[in-house]
Amino acid sequence: MSNGGTPLAQARALYRVDSELAAPPELADPDTLLNAFHPDHLRSSVVKLAVGANAGENCQRELAQQLQAEAFIDEADLAGAPVTDTDVLIIGGGGAGCAAALAAAGRGARVLLVTKLRLGDSNTVMAEGGIQAAIEPDDSIQRHIQDTLRGGHHAGDPELVSAMAQDGPEVIRWLIEEGMQFEQTASGDLHTRKAGGMSAARIMHCRDYTGLEMMRVLREAVIQHRGIEVWEHSPAVELLSNERGQKCVGAVFTSLLDGRFRIVRTHSVILATGGLGRLHLNNFPTSNHLGATGDGLVLAYRIGAQLRDLDSFQYHPTGLVHPPYLSGKLVTEGVRAAGALMLNAAGQRFVDELLPRDIVCAAILRECAEGRGIRVDDGRVGVWLDTPRLERSQPGMLERQFPKLLARTQMSGIDPRSEPLLIHPTLHYQNGGVVIDVNGATTVPGLFAVGELAGGIHGRNRIMGNALLDIISFGRRAGVAAISEHDRGPKKVTLEHVNQARRALTLAGMPLTQRAPQILPDYAAKGIWNR
Amino acid sequence: MTSTPAAATGDSQPAVNLTINGIAVAARPAMTLVEAAWHGGVPRVTGVSCLESVCGSCRVLLRRGKEVTVDLACQTFVEEGIEAVFLPPQATPKHHYEISEFTDSWNNLARFHEIFPEASHCRHCHGCVRSCPKGIDVESAINLAAAGHFRDAGEMFLECVMCDLCDSACPEQIAPAHVGLFCRRVSAHFRLRPPNLIQRLEEQRKERLLGQASPDSHE
Amino acid sequence: MEPLTSILLHPERRVGADMARWAAAGGGQALARAAQDPAGVRVAIREADLRGMGGSGFTVWRKWEAVAAELPKPDKYLIVNGNEDEPGTFKDRMLLEETPHQVIEGALVAALAVGANRVVFYVNPDLKQSLAAVDAAIAQWHASERLAQASKALGRTLELSLRPASGHYIGGEETAAISWVEGGFPFPRGKPPYPAQAGVHGCPTLINNVETLAHVPHIVVHGAEWFRSLGKAPGTGTKLYSLSGDVLHPGVYELPMGTTLRELIFEHGGGLLSGKPLKAVFTGGPSCSLLTPVNLDVGLDFDSLRACGGSLGTGAMIVVSEGTGIVKRVAEYMRFFAHSSCGQCNSCKVGTATMSRLLDRIDTGRGTAADLDTLENLCALLPGSGRCHLISGTVQLLDSSFRHFHNEYRQALR
Repeated sequence: MSNGGTPLAQARALYRVDSELAAPPELADPDTLLNAFHPDHLRSSVVKLAVGANAGENCQRELAQQLQAEAFIDEADLAGAPVTDTDVLIIGGGGAGCAAALAAAGRGARVLLVTKLRLGDSNTVMAEGGIQAAIEPDDSIQRHIQDTLRGGHHAGDPELVSAMAQDGPEVIRWLIEEGMQFEQTASGDLHTRKAGGMSAARIMHCRDYTGLEMMRVLREAVIQHRGIEVWEHSPAVELLSNERGQKCVGAVFTSLLDGRFRIVRTHSVILATGGLGRLHLNNFPTSNHLGATGDGLVLAYRIGAQLRDLDSFQYHPTGLVHPPYLSGKLVTEGVRAAGALMLNAAGQRFVDELLPRDIVCAAILRECAEGRGIRVDDGRVGVWLDTPRLERSQPGMLERQFPKLLARTQMSGIDPRSEPLLIHPTLHYQNGGVVIDVNGATTVPGLFAVGELAGGIHGRNRIMGNALLDIISFGRRAGVAAISEHDRGPKKVTLEHVNQARRALTLAGMPLTQRAPQILPDYAAKGIWNR
Repeated sequence: MTSTPAAATGDSQPAVNLTINGIAVAARPAMTLVEAAWHGGVPRVTGVSCLESVCGSCRVLLRRGKEVTVDLACQTFVEEGIEAVFLPPQATPKHHYEISEFTDSWNNLARFHEIFPEASHCRHCHGCVRSCPKGIDVESAINLAAAGHFRDAGEMFLECVMCDLCDSACPEQIAPAHVGLFCRRVSAHFRLRPPNLIQRLEEQRKERLLGQASPDSHE
Repeated sequence: MEPLTSILLHPERRVGADMARWAAAGGGQALARAAQDPAGVRVAIREADLRGMGGSGFTVWRKWEAVAAELPKPDKYLIVNGNEDEPGTFKDRMLLEETPHQVIEGALVAALAVGANRVVFYVNPDLKQSLAAVDAAIAQWHASERLAQASKALGRTLELSLRPASGHYIGGEETAAISWVEGGFPFPRGKPPYPAQAGVHGCPTLINNVETLAHVPHIVVHGAEWFRSLGKAPGTGTKLYSLSGDVLHPGVYELPMGTTLRELIFEHGGGLLSGKPLKAVFTGGPSCSLLTPVNLDVGLDFDSLRACGGSLGTGAMIVVSEGTGIVKRVAEYMRFFAHSSCGQCNSCKVGTATMSRLLDRIDTGRGTAADLDTLENLCALLPGSGRCHLISGTVQLLDSSFRHFHNEYRQALR
């Protein structure tokens, strides 16, 4: 993915923590930069969908293959499968799923939460930077809305953005009531930081363990709640529809442990399955957890839900290149927010580090492509994140505010206080997703979608700290809305929508060779399906 | 840098031979046990998620010579001759509480001992401390918790990833990780009252009251 | 059917804490001889090939010589191990309750032989009658001249004391017993140092099982040759077998060491209940194992059983008949061991807790092929780790159940 670059050892020898730095060159035309270097804009990476609710629209190539694939199961596979009934079915055990479950169960609903891996295994748990909410005196809900829309290149849905920003302060309060801790100032205020694309300090955090802190609290709250039943290691393989294939009335799960199918019937299904980094779009490394394979998009699309912005993904600027086992793993944007700069192999700044993520990402890819990057043995290239300079200007700050970063890199003998980190953009976030309203309802009756899976909030680029807010805000909204579905439940649960999708695929001349959802990346699925 | 395990990446390096779930694996140096398991085609490795040692899923028992320890596979590098077995998923915790049912914080210590009666039975075997892949001094934290020092105890669990290895290592079934989380939760629930947040919430409440008076109010 | 041999449990010796009746049956002679020739006692024990009856089968004289060779620092201890807590073992309680003086005499003979001045009776706290009998018997020794005479022979005051044990299974392990006697939690320690060098408060310490010590007076009085002739070679002397489970007459049987399983079950135990075929026998003790009908003619002594991959343990024989679920039984044992693990070693505590959970899952129809794989992998990984023998013994039981009854585990998978 590169042209040349300076070998790592040589670049390391050239690096000086005290070198004089000039300001980065003025960015004259962001669009030209994005068009030339951002992966979303690579012509080869986008195709037009042939079938489904978004037929004729642009979609990232590898995702399109998933969306237009054959189903995982046939009706015959369901013979003898045990059936469970519940008021609300939640698919996904990350932050959004847990928030939805707590909201629904808190209002008396019987909730079944089913998750592919372990409860809490999610991208939420890895979020380091923090969560946005406009709480500072010099900030306002309106500014939060504006920053979010501007960051998303005005492609976001203002109604959704407004709902989320309005929820911000209440979300923080709810999290505190559930027992989540946040950093405080000496006077007891919540500590806030400003990050890329923000007009005021608005990020709250718990050291650089914000996602972990949030996830373990929500996970414990879910486990402890009497109204919530949890099935772990149970990936969803298909949704269930009514006889006309037009309403979602349940789902089919298999088990990673014994491969058996189980059917759940319900009034409302909330999909909270997260993102798709593990599809490794455009061959990028990813910061995502192992289960992020876009299953929810596939299931929602097959049952007829409208999706959006399927050609827009966030490549986080600072994924680690070295050490190799952490390839693609994030260095939180908080480090740049705290003042860390980025340098190319020549030791020069090349972009304002706090511009929106897509622009910073494109700028890094430009440095790498034009030979100003730093190359490791296996040919991968990156640029420096100048953590020693940050440490030098604010001694002890890395240890105080970013203990996770230190612990992780030091395990492999790298100390970011004394040597810069080699970074490269990494596939981080799905900007688009399932079209929803302010309650998380999709275009398919009975089906909700929340969290990273849903689209429209972050437009075509998400700013830091809005993901954790999004999952709680819309998770809770969907949890409440889902219990107001008041029909008497499904008379019949079918795979009619699968038949309809097959018909459409066949008529469009699409091959039915590939099956989806993916569930696990191939490299991690050995022996799981054949027992 | 050359001293780090990550420095060696080339295929020319001699393989590191180890056993994972009973299967012989020839791994490359600097691989983690998770990478080695994939590389060696070890089947049915299902307890893997974040790959950066924050989710606590990939728990392994490791044997080096006669010494057997526990750790997380994604933060353990391959070594010649070691044996590893991935442990099954954690059991559901048996202690029950809902934080919303806590009303009077003067009773927190009493409630704590009702919920976690075993926490005062610590026999100081250090099993929890040895088991912690994050190096938390679990035993001291539990003793702090049992004495009502919830904030200090909770702070010690900052890096806890809920792998529950300490739970399975505790002969008194104290469930230390859940005690730690309890401490953190009650500390936040009862003590965190940030003025800047409260001020904004108050402004929003007043706006809503105004909005309710006007016909085009939303929410 | 009456036991063929009756030494320890001879009716004349089952007199409880009655010193006069004990003396009338020959009690006290061994102590008198030991007072004359303590070194000679060690020779006799060596020639008799007396073994540790608490489960280890370790040769007793080696421990004795090691302790005898040490200087007091300033004391030397003898712990009489009556922790008896293994599944299916109920012999020591009988000796303590019905023949306390026999045990005390054996202990005092040993004390003289190795030069120990503090003798601690370490008894399972749940065995109330045993505790009462030992307590009463010790009081009688204090009131009699015998103890003073023994002290004179030793050259310093012999102290007899009773210390109820902790109630933890692991407290039966010798270094754990030492910790408890010192006043701490009964944690096993790593060896070395061995108790013979540094035991209770750093003093040289001999620790022997109740049954082991009960044999001592008889060896001293009747000689090593006599003792050896009681056993069926390679076994020597007699052994108390605790027979339980699906047999007609469960109970404690004193039989020649090396009696076959067939004789024990069918001649003495009256055969299996309802005439069902024998399925397996669990031998109790810290290294449990499984015997099957093919082992019926193996002599129940330490060496013969070890040769066929089993272990005598404490001599507990828990008989199960056809129709008994092996998975359920092993799951029950594993729960016991998981509960008993002291916590110091992750290998043991995490290992037993994990194995117990997996076995429970399999037993209750929730187990998967992956669970069974994990159990087998743990059986390969765990043995020999940990500072005491618990994890190895536990794995030995599970492993032997896999070897003999793998199909039952397979069938239980969902």
